[in-house]
Amino acid sequence: MRTKMKTSSFVILMAVGVVVALYTLMPFFLVCINVFKNANGIVANPVGVAGMSIGQLTANISNVVNNSNFNFWYAFGTSALITIISLALLALFGGMAGWVICRNKTKWSTAVYMTFVASMIIPFQVVMLPLISTFRDVGKFVGLSMLQSIPGIVFAYCGFGGAMTVFILTGFVKTIPYALEEAASIDGCSYEGIYFHIIFPLLKPSIVTVTILNGMWIWNDYLLPSLMLGQNGKVKTLPVAVQAFVGSYVKQWDLILTAALLAMIPMIIIFLIAQKQIMNGMVDGAVK
Amino acid sequence: MKKLFALIMALAMAVSLVACGGGNSTPSGNTSSGDTSNTAAASGDTIRLVNGKIEIDAALKNLAAKYKEETGVTVEIESMGGGVDIQGTLKGYYQAGNMPDIFVNNGTDFDNWTGMLVDMKDQAWVSDTQAAYKDDSGAVIGFPYTTEAIGLAYNASILEAAGVDPATLTSPDAIKAAFETIDSKKADLGLNAVVGYCAEASSLYWSTGNHLFANYIDGGLDREDTTYIDLLSDGGQLDEARMTDFANFVDLLNQYSDPSLLVSGTYDQQILNFSSGKYAFVTQGSWIGATMTSDDADAYAAAGNFKCGMVPYAFQAGQENILTSAPSYWSVFGEGNTEAALAFLDWCATDAGQEILVTEANCISPFESCTFVANDPFAQTISDYISAGKTSNWHWSFMKEGLAQNYTGQVFADFAAGNLDAASFVSTMQQVCAACYNS
Amino acid sequence: MNANTTGKKVMSLALLVVGTVLMVGSLVMDFTGSGSPMRGPMLIIGALGILAGMYFFPTLARHRGIINFIFLFPLLFCFAVTVIIPLVLGIFYSMTDWNGVKMNAFIGLANYMTMFKDPGFLWSILLTFLFVVFNMVLVNVIGFSLALLCTSRLKGIGFFRAAYFLPNLIGGIVLGYVWQFVFNNVLVKITATAFGMQNSILANTPTAFAAIIVVYIWQYAGYIMLIYINGLVTIPGDVLEAAAIDGASPTLTLFQIKIPMIMSTITICTFLTLTSAFKQFDVNMALTNGSGSVANFLGNYLTNGTQMLALNIYNTAISKNSYALGQAKAVLFFIILACISLIQVRISNSKEVEL
Repeated sequence: MRTKMKTSSFVILMAVGVVVALYTLMPFFLVCINVFKNANGIVANPVGVAGMSIGQLTANISNVVNNSNFNFWYAFGTSALITIISLALLALFGGMAGWVICRNKTKWSTAVYMTFVASMIIPFQVVMLPLISTFRDVGKFVGLSMLQSIPGIVFAYCGFGGAMTVFILTGFVKTIPYALEEAASIDGCSYEGIYFHIIFPLLKPSIVTVTILNGMWIWNDYLLPSLMLGQNGKVKTLPVAVQAFVGSYVKQWDLILTAALLAMIPMIIIFLIAQKQIMNGMVDGAVK
Repeated sequence: MKKLFALIMALAMAVSLVACGGGNSTPSGNTSSGDTSNTAAASGDTIRLVNGKIEIDAALKNLAAKYKEETGVTVEIESMGGGVDIQGTLKGYYQAGNMPDIFVNNGTDFDNWTGMLVDMKDQAWVSDTQAAYKDDSGAVIGFPYTTEAIGLAYNASILEAAGVDPATLTSPDAIKAAFETIDSKKADLGLNAVVGYCAEASSLYWSTGNHLFANYIDGGLDREDTTYIDLLSDGGQLDEARMTDFANFVDLLNQYSDPSLLVSGTYDQQILNFSSGKYAFVTQGSWIGATMTSDDADAYAAAGNFKCGMVPYAFQAGQENILTSAPSYWSVFGEGNTEAALAFLDWCATDAGQEILVTEANCISPFESCTFVANDPFAQTISDYISAGKTSNWHWSFMKEGLAQNYTGQVFADFAAGNLDAASFVSTMQQVCAACYNS
Repeated sequence: MNANTTGKKVMSLALLVVGTVLMVGSLVMDFTGSGSPMRGPMLIIGALGILAGMYFFPTLARHRGIINFIFLFPLLFCFAVTVIIPLVLGIFYSMTDWNGVKMNAFIGLANYMTMFKDPGFLWSILLTFLFVVFNMVLVNVIGFSLALLCTSRLKGIGFFRAAYFLPNLIGGIVLGYVWQFVFNNVLVKITATAFGMQNSILANTPTAFAAIIVVYIWQYAGYIMLIYINGLVTIPGDVLEAAAIDGASPTLTLFQIKIPMIMSTITICTFLTLTSAFKQFDVNMALTNGSGSVANFLGNYLTNGTQMLALNIYNTAISKNSYALGQAKAVLFFIILACISLIQVRISNSKEVEL
């Protein structure tokens, strides 16, 4: 039982808490009120509520969604597809690799593990330029387009996300008692069956963690897709589309802010639904 | 059996991925996605054009629709605006094997694509214009689709009301006097400021670093005179006396500009205020006509659809020319769908294409046989200057790539913000130009 | 049983043969320069055929090894192609005149010499270090304070926590533009009315730099707060209770008990902010794109006042088209980060030994 807080300090702390919350939420609030205005209304009066109307909001949204240079639903769908496929593959392959690494203490598996761990310090900048040329060459060679294509970028995310995923999942496999696997083996379960029947179901909580960490990264990532897909290419993710859109319309804040709002909404909805898992997942990812 | 099921699931996933990959790599009429140069069998009925003038995007899409109607060939228009590093993006496309069939180039941009562009000298339209872009060997590698002018744009109604005759504004003293006169009547004329000049560095560097600086390079010179661009190309040198006069003129703009626009303004704000009759002058070229009659049409109408004109940025006495040129050209990429691209450009030069380019995109036609007149506030003033022979060229487009964006734009911004005075503006300009050309 | 094994053997061999034929076939097509669109799918189906053939190969002794290989292969393959090969190539390219497409000559360390003679790049390094130091201190102090706030007995803690964390969900590009709006339109409007200050704080290098720091803290402090909360709640309640009974003041409890007990969390958060601030790119690009001037840095006037390292690398390669020079800068970037990470590992290990 802790000491009871004094009323005065309670009030002060509460006030500080509210002020900071107002500050962190302020940009969201500004976006929300300004999407109800037209461009001139925003420039004339960005803070107040004057000039707000529902009709303007629908007009802004339809301008953004129907804008052929933004193509919101297409960008949204592309982002969602890339994120979901990458996450599924990372979870599947990451779990498999983590289990093999953890359960086979050979020098090979240790070397693979150490390579994965060491690679986590490699910044994207040092590989981004050769990555593009490598992908272009590989693509030209085998006749599959690795750049400008969804499979290509999913492949890249599996490569970049692999290290952290394996690291976290290996750590988790270690906590699963080996006796479980021995028992299953005696019962006649095949080697690969052990993974799919015993280990994979047990990995679920840590798969949620890696999915959240990878998901936040992949969904919001700008640099990799902008380089691989082009800044204004045919296939574009939401962040790339926002950047291209802002660049092409010199500064039409009504459209830019509406685009920003549309880009933020999916993340915020997911956060409201799975707040606890996301916060815990983010912490687990950092602490492990 | 369950293990098999799991495996099949995994395989199915992988196969679906392959299917996606295969689908993308096959040339399925979608020229832009998988169209690396070795899948050259791209279908003949789609071409892609990268346009550098966002303001004519809608008109070009109409142009493409009409072309499709007439010939069945689809032209995809991809527009990029002022703030986008178009050449950088195109290089990215080249890297990714995603080059458009036709794309925009000007000046030094052509150097990026040496040997990769189609020589169009056999095309019918070449004989109809003086404005085609020829490289050193005489190959025609740029299709001129419009003419643009750089001058100090003015609102004719306001000048008239203030009693200023634009024809007299051919010296810095005359312009200064006019600014003073208008400034003193600002309230009566309903003005926010005399000039809408914006020197913001991160997204409007092109306005100052390219177009305003262009006057230092070409102001008052004959079209063939390359004195100052040659000096600049030779290690980034500037003519100090000329630059000093230019600096004093820019200082005049700094003094009389709208302070809320000068340092942190935006293009939209600048043009909207000019269209609304809030500025007597604006430091943008003829391309703003398109913005005034589309995005800002309501404000422009409310301000009485006033007549517009241009005066030279006369930073030295006797400079009577405005700067005109094709601002950029369309080039055909040699490894793309060249035949369809050439056919499209040829069509653009005919009446059917010119009608849309001139009347809808408000391009000022560089073709002699063209009879359409652009409905553009600046069309009249440009043709007046051209017929009077009072035009200078656009040698600024031969400045080193990135000079405005990475170097000079910032110097204009610092000058505007008061961090530099006219003398230090000149010396700083000398320093950054040298740094740019020697890096 | 026996028939089953034979069946499997036949199937396995068939898959291996078909897979190999397809792969070899597609590779031959590649080398002969055939433009057939089928060669890509053939290659992949061939590879999958070989993997499946290996899976069905009826051997008890080797089965485990084969499964190990199949399980490791997908991720390791992606990893090798996207990280290892480009890393090796990148270090090599940094010593050539590579232009993004091809290289003509090996020029040794010339790129490295050029970059250290470029005052703009030195400025970017200095600025990045300043940014890292400011953020390491500010984000941790603010994050920790917020964590204390959120572990105290206030009402609506859940809401506060969520509100502070929310900015972390939004991508750097999107929030960069939102903040550009806040600074260029909202704040200018306010300062113009209040003090007649018409210029945005993004137009001036020092204030623009401060603006980037503010946005970064706004985005990152909530995340660091969560980690501190996680550390603080692991402090055993009886320790705090004992301290309270002994009459320790809240300040004393904080400095004598709470902080020492979460030292490992502090280490984690410090390095997390350090590396993340060091790699800052999206906000920098969307907010100022590196603009801003420096009047005199080592005798030079610079025009990349707010351009930090990651953005400098990007601009060097992409907009100035100097791929090899950009790559050399990136290699230096990598070396610095690697050193930081090694220090972190060393510190964490020594801590663990102490405990």
